Amino acid sequence: MKLEVNELKKSFGEVEVLHGVSFSVESGSALGLLGRNGAGKTTTIRILMDVFKANSGTISMDGKPFIPKEYQIGYLPEERGLYPKKTVGEQLIYLAMLRGLSAKKAKEQTKKWLERMGVSEYENRKLETLSKGNQQKVQLAQTLLCDPDIVILDEPFSGLDPVNAQILKDVIKEQIQAGKLVIFSSHQMSYVEEFCEKIAILNHGDVVLGGNLRDIKRDFGRDRLVLSSLGETPEELAEMLKNEFSDLLDVEKVQKDRVIIRKKAEENKPLIMQRLLEQGVDLEFFGLYEPSLNDIFVERAGDEA
Amino acid sequence: MKQFLTVLKFELNNYFKNKSFVITTFLLALVIAAVVIVPTLIPGLLDDESETAEPDTSEELVIDEETDAEASDEEESSYGICVVTDAEDVNLDMICAAFPAEWKTYESEKEIKEAVETGDIEAGFVMESPTDVTYVVNDLSMYDYLGEMFSETLAECYKQQYLLEKGLTAEEILESESFYVNVTEEVLGKDSGQNYWYTYVLVFVVYFLIIFYGQMIATSVTTEKSNRAIEILVTSVNSNSLICGKVLAGAIAGVLQAGIILGSGFASYGLVKEAWGGLLDFLFDIPANVLIVYAVFAVLSYLLYAFIFGMLGALVSKTEDISKSSSPVLMIYIASFMIAIFGMTSDSNSMLMKVASYIPFTSGNAMFIRVSMGSVEIWEVLLSAVILVASCVLAGVLAAKIFRFGTLHYGNPIKLRTALKKANRE
Repeated sequence: MKLEVNELKKSFGEVEVLHGVSFSVESGSALGLLGRNGAGKTTTIRILMDVFKANSGTISMDGKPFIPKEYQIGYLPEERGLYPKKTVGEQLIYLAMLRGLSAKKAKEQTKKWLERMGVSEYENRKLETLSKGNQQKVQLAQTLLCDPDIVILDEPFSGLDPVNAQILKDVIKEQIQAGKLVIFSSHQMSYVEEFCEKIAILNHGDVVLGGNLRDIKRDFGRDRLVLSSLGETPEELAEMLKNEFSDLLDVEKVQKDRVIIRKKAEENKPLIMQRLLEQGVDLEFFGLYEPSLNDIFVERAGDEA
Repeated sequence: MKQFLTVLKFELNNYFKNKSFVITTFLLALVIAAVVIVPTLIPGLLDDESETAEPDTSEELVIDEETDAEASDEEESSYGICVVTDAEDVNLDMICAAFPAEWKTYESEKEIKEAVETGDIEAGFVMESPTDVTYVVNDLSMYDYLGEMFSETLAECYKQQYLLEKGLTAEEILESESFYVNVTEEVLGKDSGQNYWYTYVLVFVVYFLIIFYGQMIATSVTTEKSNRAIEILVTSVNSNSLICGKVLAGAIAGVLQAGIILGSGFASYGLVKEAWGGLLDFLFDIPANVLIVYAVFAVLSYLLYAFIFGMLGALVSKTEDISKSSSPVLMIYIASFMIAIFGMTSDSNSMLMKVASYIPFTSGNAMFIRVSMGSVEIWEVLLSAVILVASCVLAGVLAAKIFRFGTLHYGNPIKLRTALKKANRE
């Protein structure tokens, strides 16, 4: 299955919040939908789920118009909420039945997923008596218990401790391996890097950067190099580079243990290397810069932070 | 449809698994059954009551009640009396004889007031002339008729005295009071005296249903928005199924609860009707056609209000906002209830009642009262029922539309007019 979102526009009253959002994602892979608060992620997801109607734009699945009702969709909303006064089992069975499972199947799936999430001992407890992390796991069980074709997770890691986060990571990896189509929104870039083949960074209702994560990283790091020296601190090294190498490079960033430079011309790498050796710099590291998703995100979405 | 049934079942379970709902229902049913059955088990209780229910002549009744009251108090009430003017025509002996109690005489108005204040006497009478009396009492209760009784007794004494002076003998006076004209009522339509009480009770049942369940239904509709479960629900269930399931669950729970409580009353009266000797027929002996009309109109108007409350629930996103936004509807219902009560006590066939029996907000009560206490053509009942059904459907559709529009609208309550406009545009 291939889900394609094309030029979605949406206004609330006079304000246009999405100005033409496009991305695509296929079964067996995950898309990371990134963006700062208010960038339009949740609105995009809600349009996808047919909660809101888009003003224009199309959503298609394998080339045909996408009708959410025809698919099992597991949705974990950012605004978490279930019935606090109901027992865990009762509400999961109810929600599963609403999504078309038979009573028997709903019970089976509830048991299975509570066990998988490690919260089966709470099946007959009221939800409000559970800790926040465990409530979160119940929510995740809810998302997955109808065996969805499409899994949409809005900030799934918020509120989870590292152990629980690991359980969730495993579950998401399983889902991707099982050929599910996963859409994933998060502020925690490390998780997105871990799972997502593709990303779409939203900023003020526009996709400011989208595509295959590896390509994006390579493009982003193409004209940059990382170096560090055993003899000098990064600051000293940066100072020296600014004075002696200004014809070949610009110093872009001085970090705790390294300096990031931007080549002035594509073919400068050997020249820089040569000059460094001539200068007698005791090189510790010299290599291509591979940006973290965090760096990319801050650069693209952090315009007016 | 399957989703609707799932929602309905889940929501009904919310009511039926609620301990206070179950306990209240059975407790009230039990209390009603006990009130009906227990008196029949106490020997002699009902026989006495039927005797006192026999009409007495008024004069004797006054004295009887007086002595009864005294007997039950087990001590004679004491009153004070004084004559402030030197009007010699005040006959204290006669007054005291006509009004049996422990009488004390005082010299002045001041003394009598002091005696009342200290509690020496329950009340005092200050005679300024034979026909001018001040009744002195410490706290005047709602049901204190002593002043009037004193006045009536005195007037009766004077009348007898006057007639005796005119030359009539005591026998003749007694005879003059023995004329009695017997009037038998033949009611061609309905006798309000007969059916007032059960009509009153049944109207009250609907009143309580709407007041109690209205809020509960609105709350149940808001719950998901309040706890954000709507985020999940809205993507997995049709909003029409959701709101209809919720409203109907509330409606069914309410009707069932009322049914159980009323049913317990009817069933237990059925069991012990003989022992009561038909004494409670004024509450329980309801003609079948009245009961049918009641069932139809009560359920329909309850449903109408249930949908309106559901609509209000859809407008707000926090349960604490419900009471504020539901008050206008409660006002409308209370106005309808007032019209109903007014119609019952005055004229159930008045123009007001006729008009009210076609307006959906008021027809539930008004049409039922007209059928129960007045005269209505069958086509009128049917027409009113059709209007009510149509209104229910309309309210349901509107509630669903508003619910769909308001599902993910958090924050301040939406204004009804805005919601209707926007819901219509979508």
